[in-house]
Amino acid sequence: MRTFEYLKPASVNKALALLDLYGDQAKLIAGGTDVMVQWKKRIISPQVLISLRNLAELSFIKFGGGLEIGAGTTHRALELSPEIREHFPVIHDAVSNLGSVQVRNSGTIGGNICNAAPSADTAPPLLVLDTNVRIASTKGERTVAIRDFFRGPSRTVLQTGELVTLFSIPAPLPRTGMAYSKHTRRKAMDLPIVGVAVLLSFEEDLKTCRKAAIALGVAAPTPMRAANAEAFLAGKPVDKTTLLEAGKIASEEASPRTTIRGSAWYRKEIIRVLVRRTGLICMERAKGAARS
Amino acid sequence: MKCNVINTPVHNVDGIAKVTGRATYTFDVTVPGMLFGKILRSPHPHARIKNIDASAALALNGVRAVVTGKDTLGIKQGIWRRYKELCDEQILPLEKVRYIGEPVAAVAADTEEIAEQALDLIEVDYEVLPAVYDPMEAIKKEAPEIHEGFERNINVTRHIEWGDVDDAFDEADYIREDWFRCSGQAHACMETRCAVASYTADGKLAVWTSTQSAYYHQVLLADVLGLKESDVRVIAKYVGGGFGGKFELDAAQFCSSVLSMKLCKPVKIVFTREEDFIASKRRTPMYYYVRTGVKKDGTFLAREARVFTDGGAYTGMGATALYLTGFFHSFPYKWRGYRHDGFRVYTNTLPSTSMRGFGTPHATYCSELQIDLIAKELGLDRIEIRRKNGHTPNYEVPGQATIASCGLEQCLDEIEKWIKSRGELPPNRGIGISSYGFMSGGIFNRFDTPYSFSSAVVTINYDGKVDLHVGAQDIGQGSNTTLAIICAEDLGVRLEDIRVHSGDTAECPPDLGAWGSRQTLMAGNAVKMAAGEAKRQLLEFAAAQMSPNIVYDLDIKDRWVHLAGRPERGLDYFEVVKKALRGKDGQRIMGRGYYTPHRKGMISPAYSYGVQALEIDVDPETGKIKLLNCVTAHDCGQPINPLGLTGQLEGAISMAAGYGFLEDIPIEDGMVMNPNLVDYKLIRAPDMPETEVIEIETYEPEGPFGAKEAGEGLTNPTAAALATAVLDAVGVPIKELPITPEKVLNALKEKKAQ
Repeated sequence: MRTFEYLKPASVNKALALLDLYGDQAKLIAGGTDVMVQWKKRIISPQVLISLRNLAELSFIKFGGGLEIGAGTTHRALELSPEIREHFPVIHDAVSNLGSVQVRNSGTIGGNICNAAPSADTAPPLLVLDTNVRIASTKGERTVAIRDFFRGPSRTVLQTGELVTLFSIPAPLPRTGMAYSKHTRRKAMDLPIVGVAVLLSFEEDLKTCRKAAIALGVAAPTPMRAANAEAFLAGKPVDKTTLLEAGKIASEEASPRTTIRGSAWYRKEIIRVLVRRTGLICMERAKGAARS
Repeated sequence: MKCNVINTPVHNVDGIAKVTGRATYTFDVTVPGMLFGKILRSPHPHARIKNIDASAALALNGVRAVVTGKDTLGIKQGIWRRYKELCDEQILPLEKVRYIGEPVAAVAADTEEIAEQALDLIEVDYEVLPAVYDPMEAIKKEAPEIHEGFERNINVTRHIEWGDVDDAFDEADYIREDWFRCSGQAHACMETRCAVASYTADGKLAVWTSTQSAYYHQVLLADVLGLKESDVRVIAKYVGGGFGGKFELDAAQFCSSVLSMKLCKPVKIVFTREEDFIASKRRTPMYYYVRTGVKKDGTFLAREARVFTDGGAYTGMGATALYLTGFFHSFPYKWRGYRHDGFRVYTNTLPSTSMRGFGTPHATYCSELQIDLIAKELGLDRIEIRRKNGHTPNYEVPGQATIASCGLEQCLDEIEKWIKSRGELPPNRGIGISSYGFMSGGIFNRFDTPYSFSSAVVTINYDGKVDLHVGAQDIGQGSNTTLAIICAEDLGVRLEDIRVHSGDTAECPPDLGAWGSRQTLMAGNAVKMAAGEAKRQLLEFAAAQMSPNIVYDLDIKDRWVHLAGRPERGLDYFEVVKKALRGKDGQRIMGRGYYTPHRKGMISPAYSYGVQALEIDVDPETGKIKLLNCVTAHDCGQPINPLGLTGQLEGAISMAAGYGFLEDIPIEDGMVMNPNLVDYKLIRAPDMPETEVIEIETYEPEGPFGAKEAGEGLTNPTAAALATAVLDAVGVPIKELPITPEKVLNALKEKKAQ
């Protein structure tokens, strides 16, 4: 019969030891919202599932200017964090409209990133925040910038025996606004046709762009940064016109596919619109942050 | 009308059982010794079965039996039993598979997991055949033949005509023609198809299943299994939704029965959600050509239409969809000449069938959108053009139907008022409207039942409490509540005095079940007759006891048996019952009732009417639609349970709006591309508009207490109202369902380019 062994180590170190022992025959499971679906669809058939569920050392949110998020933190915990809502609203935007409350109570940010779906809602926010991903194995630790983490649909830089423990986010510059927009058919319980995260840091005039970061989901085989659009905005006054142009450039950088969820031409169209709209939200938020 | 029970909002009589989790659905049924079945399905859209080798599966520990077509009688079955050529489906086929997901073999094992594993061990040798997936392709000369003897894969044709159509077109000042495309839709019931079959050594079969008609399944199972109807008992006490998809024989029912008969053990089969999507049946997709001729002042003269429906691999109820779309495409308007030609075409896709509205949401969408385009072209008011041509009470649709009650005009008045109250709308906002109507039960009997269409038995016990036995099927729509209300009203007792028995062919009288919005009118009339008969017996006794002047009539209201003219003179109902039973040598008082329509035209004994307005916002940059307000003026005759009516209305809007702008079943190379609830986009609460219903009360002489259809017709207008709303908001007609953001944006780009 098609079955698997379910192991529940009590610590990250024990989990790493098990990963070493079973190698490619093992699959890590956290919330299970992706893994169990893949198992049922027979996309994966591991002999062993190593559970990271409820490991306290992976589940935390540490705020101190910058932000550290344990990989096992649930979407719901992120959604309910007042610090994230106030200081990293781009993450709040993404996790508060991801799946249902039930899914958010179970699914984790580490799982969402390691599953490496082009549509992962938490990927564009972590991309614009220049997040560092800490990776552990029995051999030690290494850190990878998130923009280097994804290698293709369902593929990452993770090697056999490695797991993600932490997302480390540097403190944003002053006068920064950030937001994530998700284009869906329905208002809830939907995957993005396109997801766009924008982060804009301003000079003291609150107009001139000091730094721009734009990340796109479902726009390419992996979540991506729109580097040309970012370069275009840097140093320029930000307004509807420049954002419209940035949207056009980002749309040209993207290489989306046509699937039943959306046509390539439509996705490009939406990127154009969402970069502008999300940029405008960033401006509002930056002004709000400067006032407070 | 002064009523005691009718028109008072009540919760459903089975509500407590449901909200406390005590209602036993087929999902919940467990029988001692029960095995679990799984079905092996075809991976090919069209293939000849050369050989099936189940030896490895049978060798697996825990596997009890594997059955294929060879273990069956090989009977080709269908629901149109009067037309043998349309009984075309062997649920375990002997020779060919005709769609991806078609059952090929079934396994019974000790556990579901073992059964699933056994499926992997069955070797099927297929010869793959060329396949065709679209009716417009399948109808071509060179297309592969799906069923033998059906030229160009045309499964059924239907011609409807009245008046001199060509003559009427000649008089037209303006003629418009359009092509439309209407998508399929999944029933997506909360409870997937499922059955527990238990065959015993005495030759009797009991089947618990999720069905819209226990009686239909009793007959269909008896037919294919070679049993007497009365040796088959079908039990469906609680059903988790039907929407038109659960009165044909399905593979859960058939395969569990075949396995159970082979093993003399109970066998349970429950479809997964994916199986339900790929291998049940679906709403019929259609291509529609519509040509309409009108006078300058907007008077409708002639319409001709051609429809090509995607029948999928088998007939099912799909042939009726062809007829009903043809008739209701004329609705609710008067045409001097009307001609409709329908072609149902076989394809190598999952079969299509009935679904809530049954061909009418399509017909209404094409008709109403074209009417708005005509009104726009001629500069006419869109309410006025509908009022000028709408049905009126006592209208006769030539050769087809006689309308008795019709509140269309009042509905139009109310909707016009509401639209005016909205004032000037901001840019990219629009209000769509759609008139509609629907039948209150079908008159046709292609199933060939020898029984009355509906039957009921009312039994009054010694303590005055009443048992109501009906064959009508409650599938969540609340028919048990409706029928209990009718019974209580007629008998003069309270709702809590009635216990309804339904969903068991061994204890309930035959009834065609829940389809075509028939139960309130047909089963309602049967219940009213049965209650009336019981009441007559009780009043005979009361009259003897009270010995009033012979000129007085007796009546019962709210448990009070009294003189109709002098209600203060009377007796307690419970006391009268006790004495009456003693006077009958202890026999309970029983009344029987039945209903079969006679001399009521071709379609239905009565018709509901309504007009819906839908206010939306369109995002012109993304094409995304936001539903804001939905107001429906609705004539269902006398409402029986206003709370149930509201539930039906809101449920219908959610289902019909989903059909209009979210739901679709894309098929590529015969494969359903979205067989899951992530990509099959059912509407969810946050996407629902605010809804309001304006009840237009009419009295339908053919209905019990003046009632007619209320739950299904409400599915008809919403896709149409959405299309006309998009036209109103941003000026583009979207002639293909569902109205997706991509289609809207594309149309806006094309308009801009012009």
